[in-house]
Amino acid sequence: MPTTASASTTSGSDGGPSSLVARLSSSDPDVKLKALREVKNQIIGSKTKKLSYIKLGAVPRVASILSAAIADGDCFQTAPAASVRGMLGYSSNVVVQSAAALGSFACGFDDGVQAVLAAGALPLLVRLLDHPDDKVVDVGARSLKMIYQSEFAPKYEILERGSLEFLVSLLNREGENVTELGAHIIAHSCRTFEEQKVMLKAGVLKRLVSLLDGSVGQRDASLGSLAAAFKNNSEVIKEFLGPHGGKLFNAILRLTMDSNAKTRLLACQCLIVIRDATDCYILELGLNRKLVNTLLELLDDPGQVGDESPFVLSSLVLGKEDLHTIALEADAMVKFRDCMEKENVNPRRLRGVLLALADLCSKLEICRSTFLSMQVLKPLVGFLNHKEEDIRIAACNCLKNVTRSIKNLCAGYFMKNEALVTALVLLLMDASEEVQVAALGVVSNIVVDFTTQKSMFVAHEGMQQLFGLSKSMVPAVRSNALWALRNMTFLADDKCKEAVYFGMTPSLIADLICDDELSVQEQALALVRNLVDGSVESIEQVFADDGIILDAAGSQLQCGPNAEVLIQGMYVLGNIACGNEIHKEAVMCLLFPLVGRGPEPFFVNFLLSTDSRLRLATVWVLINLTLPSPGALNRQQRLQKEGVLSIVRSMVNDPCLDVKIRVKTLLTQTELGDF
Amino acid sequence: MPVRVVESSVPSQVSGPNSGHHSPQISSLLSVGQAFSGSQNVSSLQKQEAWKVNVRIQGCDLDRGYLCGTMEALNVPMADTPVVTFWEGEIVDIKNYTFFTGKWEAMPDDDIKHWTKFPSFAPFQSQVQADGGKSLDLSNYPFIFMRWKEQYFVNVGTDCGLTIAGFYYVCFSCADVTINGFYYDPNSSPFQKLELKSANEGKTGFSFSSYELQ
Repeated sequence: MPTTASASTTSGSDGGPSSLVARLSSSDPDVKLKALREVKNQIIGSKTKKLSYIKLGAVPRVASILSAAIADGDCFQTAPAASVRGMLGYSSNVVVQSAAALGSFACGFDDGVQAVLAAGALPLLVRLLDHPDDKVVDVGARSLKMIYQSEFAPKYEILERGSLEFLVSLLNREGENVTELGAHIIAHSCRTFEEQKVMLKAGVLKRLVSLLDGSVGQRDASLGSLAAAFKNNSEVIKEFLGPHGGKLFNAILRLTMDSNAKTRLLACQCLIVIRDATDCYILELGLNRKLVNTLLELLDDPGQVGDESPFVLSSLVLGKEDLHTIALEADAMVKFRDCMEKENVNPRRLRGVLLALADLCSKLEICRSTFLSMQVLKPLVGFLNHKEEDIRIAACNCLKNVTRSIKNLCAGYFMKNEALVTALVLLLMDASEEVQVAALGVVSNIVVDFTTQKSMFVAHEGMQQLFGLSKSMVPAVRSNALWALRNMTFLADDKCKEAVYFGMTPSLIADLICDDELSVQEQALALVRNLVDGSVESIEQVFADDGIILDAAGSQLQCGPNAEVLIQGMYVLGNIACGNEIHKEAVMCLLFPLVGRGPEPFFVNFLLSTDSRLRLATVWVLINLTLPSPGALNRQQRLQKEGVLSIVRSMVNDPCLDVKIRVKTLLTQTELGDF
Repeated sequence: MPVRVVESSVPSQVSGPNSGHHSPQISSLLSVGQAFSGSQNVSSLQKQEAWKVNVRIQGCDLDRGYLCGTMEALNVPMADTPVVTFWEGEIVDIKNYTFFTGKWEAMPDDDIKHWTKFPSFAPFQSQVQADGGKSLDLSNYPFIFMRWKEQYFVNVGTDCGLTIAGFYYVCFSCADVTINGFYYDPNSSPFQKLELKSANEGKTGFSFSSYELQ
């Protein structure tokens, strides 16, 4: 953020930055112009110097010089004689130097863009586009271009009156920087369906295509703006490209092989946008392979292109198994690993690599096993401690996908890794809730450990953290913490279940079952479902504190509107009904409560539900209640009396085979089946 | 379940389950957490022998015709402890997998010889022999045909003197909740029969645990 010069210029000598900034306010025009030039020259290509001058308050001073020069009025008169001879007058010279300095502050540096915008320089620079001197126009356009390449630039309202005409005028002018500016404004601001349609109708897209034959800058700006105009809009794409893509599609294809790295990246991006928005431009296998190879090569670029290429690659392969295979064959995993192992990798690039790696491991086991066999896990675990929050989140998301491998979960592969477990438990205490949610995603997966190696997680206080997070004020944290506990208790031994009952307490579990958030209710009931699947002792625990957990489950079943919640609730009852007679009778009490009853038991609606999973869960409860046991006959008679079994009889031809078979089991068991 | 000849296995290339959404199930008793117990006949010409076997379903992804789990052989003569293996299954759903194995040294003739051992395969035999059964709709058939291939030993090393080179032709009966299978390995005794029943593990009913990967 810019600060005032008086607050920051505390220790400058005559020749130092502070002094230079002070000279920007000199009353001597020559001193001021000289200082302006010097600032501009010093900051070119140096983010450190830009930041230093921003802190010294240089940007508002430069903007003020530009404002004064414009207000002076001279520079907007017909080109003076000096300019005609190729030399600028004083005012124009000040305008050029100040506008160029502002552009340099903004060039590739978001802090600079923000400082320039905060100094109110944007409208000043826009005014320069009407200047009679081409050189002033050019420098104004160049500086604006720098601003519009940043995400911090304000959105240009294309649909406002006169806006489109202005854009068209920019694109139709001769200066390269001006046309590029027009394209960059479109790339930055064309977002909505309506804006994209307006662009097409006004012939803007045709003009953008013609820029593909222009300079490198025009070409790149055109590709970026075309991608924005096409994004998620199949209508515009089909109308503009025609059914087969035509010349433009081929022209963009050719640009993926251009000698300029940025052009290749932008061409790939444009093709992916076209593919994603339509179903008629399916890229051929060979082309997909080429795009993957191109984007992986671009990862070698040390600059911005290399930083952006993994993001574009991620958009190419997202959710597409065939592309995951192609990327794997193209050694993407090696490239990513090498990138991750480099020192001082740009955080943006690292985030992109982690994102692409996460996509790659999202579906195919072969990708996950290659990931593990290539020792990518080690550097990835290291990034769980990265100082940047975004990187920690990206590393978690990547790990979440890698740990979906049941094959490795069964081998206890992840829980054996102490560095991983330790780092994850630490992240559960992270100051950022987003990080906590992401870390819980990984924990949820790795605790599905089919061996008995949960001890390391417990030893590192992992369970205690999960108990704590289940009380979080943030619903996503609560839900994910419960999700992890639910997965942890899947087929767990009694000791583990006791620890959960003890650590959470029945009243907390009951509160979570009745939480405001559906996802929390569902996970809480799924946790109880696992807790009560096992020995009679583990069922017994659910009756603690006057059966507060059961009461909560019962109340959700009677008034819960969500099928997922109801399904989990019915499996809680079904599992309890696997216990002894007392347990089975307790389930009967829940099914037929004394108070709040309607004309028929609430769960009859579940049998009539359109969701076969809910019908099935309900039938299982009834099967367990009527399996041969001392009290089975009484329960059967009650079900008969309440009309439940007659409804079950109507389900003998249930469209779901599983339900149909279990209905048959139930009716045979209750000797009411006519088979 | 491992048998005696030592030979390395080729890891399969299948994906894990879909995450975060509730996938449909063909049978609630062939879902994660379900346990089965029974025996495998490993008799040879020299000796009549059967090993006790426990099976647990650990993962299921019907969209991909995928099932996996663990198999525990209890009274293996050459092992001090029960031997646990991890297996991955292909569900014959015609979409992902057909009745023809196409790998693991199984020729179509071997496939037919094994599938015909299951009476429930009879309605499909001629169709499968004609065109591989690619036009069959098995979605409402109360039997589920599968191949189970053991992938690795969970609790013993590969030097344990046992092999998991072969695979099982498997048939699950949704109504009876039984699993029958035949082990196929050209280097082992033919048609070793696997017979499993749903294990209630001391419970008076059918219980269902669940997990879901994110």
